[in-house]
Amino acid sequence: MTTLLQFKNVSKQYGNSTVALSDVNFSVNEGELVSIIGPSGAGKSTLLRCINRLIDATSGEIIFDGADMLKINKKHDLRALRTKIGMIFQNYNLVERLSVFENVLHGRLGYKSALVGALGLYNENEKKQAIKIIQSLGLNEQVYKRCDQLSGGQKQRVGIARALVQEPRVLLADEPIASLDPNSSKVIMDHLKNICTTLGITVLVNLHQLDVALNYSDRIIGISGGRVVYDGLPANLTDEDIRRIYGSDPEALNLIIQKPKEVAQKI
Amino acid sequence: MAMTKTAGPVLTNGGVPPFQEGRIKIRVLSKANIAIRLTMLILAVLTIVGFATFNYQGVHLLKGLMSTLANFKTIFFQPQFAHFTLLEAIYQLFITLSLGVLTTLIGAIIALFLGMLAAENLSNKTVSNSIKGFVAVIRAVPTVLWVLIFAVSAGLGSVAAVIGMSFHSISYLTKAYSESFEELNQGTIEALEGCGASWWQIVCQAVLPSSLTSLISWTFIRFEINFGVSVAMGAAAGAGGIGYDMFMDSAFYYNLHEMGVITYLILIVAMLLEFMSIKIKNKVRA
Repeated sequence: MTTLLQFKNVSKQYGNSTVALSDVNFSVNEGELVSIIGPSGAGKSTLLRCINRLIDATSGEIIFDGADMLKINKKHDLRALRTKIGMIFQNYNLVERLSVFENVLHGRLGYKSALVGALGLYNENEKKQAIKIIQSLGLNEQVYKRCDQLSGGQKQRVGIARALVQEPRVLLADEPIASLDPNSSKVIMDHLKNICTTLGITVLVNLHQLDVALNYSDRIIGISGGRVVYDGLPANLTDEDIRRIYGSDPEALNLIIQKPKEVAQKI
Repeated sequence: MAMTKTAGPVLTNGGVPPFQEGRIKIRVLSKANIAIRLTMLILAVLTIVGFATFNYQGVHLLKGLMSTLANFKTIFFQPQFAHFTLLEAIYQLFITLSLGVLTTLIGAIIALFLGMLAAENLSNKTVSNSIKGFVAVIRAVPTVLWVLIFAVSAGLGSVAAVIGMSFHSISYLTKAYSESFEELNQGTIEALEGCGASWWQIVCQAVLPSSLTSLISWTFIRFEINFGVSVAMGAAAGAGGIGYDMFMDSAFYYNLHEMGVITYLILIVAMLLEFMSIKIKNKVRA
């Protein structure tokens, strides 16, 4: 397996005092589904946003696909690299007034010249590809519906479709199921797992739900106070590790941890 | 039984005896409440003192009121053409309307770009704040004053009116537009940036479609304002149109009958504009 993404001594400081990430080191292989867990404010979102430079890290190296993301200065090069990185969000972040189809096609904007993209001109191949992805996510009937008429789970699937239409190498998911009910959460996580196994796209997902992380991921990275405190297989995560990540006992968190992979195997 | 023990005041209200003396107040008197009451009181006193100490200079209040009402009667119940025909009046109305359309259009086009630069989510903080501050200063001076200021260099007339009214429209619409743009969730912009979309792509594909409704309604509101101002400009700045005829009727011919006709015509146009704005808003929302 080849390494797709590598963090080398990455730190991020806001202002003079607030440290969001300090000396983060880890690497992600191609085709892995990696969960990043940790308490709120631990730096999970900052970490994901450093990868596609929505936030600029203060120091260190982020090697993605052989290139150091932090060394890219030209707008054009940054746009080109960002097309390779899809991202989905807790709040979906769709343009609510536009249709599902238009929102999904937005994923192609990074490939276009400023003018063509601004006018919203897409070629037939792109449209066909978008329809295919929309169908594979089970949104056939919603193609021309406006996004403000969709349910949360449907909106998140539109978000996934927008990311997939980019033909990304890696998909970043920033707490994708935090505002969804258990059923929709399962649908979304199943889709992410499916994307990972069948399309071979690497998935990095921030999660608050430890049980979901244990069931779905190939690897777990635990973050606390901006530092990586666990990096390993879900099966090897001990009570001691959980205590280090969340700062309290698993019993106090009232966690009912099933045997890892039990749910994932059912899919 | 032990269970029937009643909870004393210590448990219910932190030691203070609860609502025991006198009537129960609905509101607690806060600083804001006191400030509002004081303001109302001062305004009431000032009004009474003002009326009591006016220098009426021989004008009898009741008599003056009666003749004003008599003038209103002439204007509203006996409208009649004298110096021009209905067709000419409509032509003049079109001139006034055109002044409103032209100044709104100029204002809207320039304000669209300034609004983007002034919106905090599309621009940086320094640029945004400096444009917003500049525009606030322009807006603080009334439109009529801007027209008179420009009249110094352009001379009284339509040129000064167009420049002055556009000037104020730009600042008004810049504020309105930038606030509409800012309503778009920062996350959506972030998501498109993450896709590799450029600034203009984000503006055209996300910001404009999201704020189109409010842009259109703000523009129409400004058009209604500009129509009213251009009536006034006809008189005050000699910009022509129906306002100028009204000014002539009231100040030179003293023909209240014809003034009545003009008033009704303006009223009809204003109501039509209102009706249209409601229609447009409904259509865009759907």
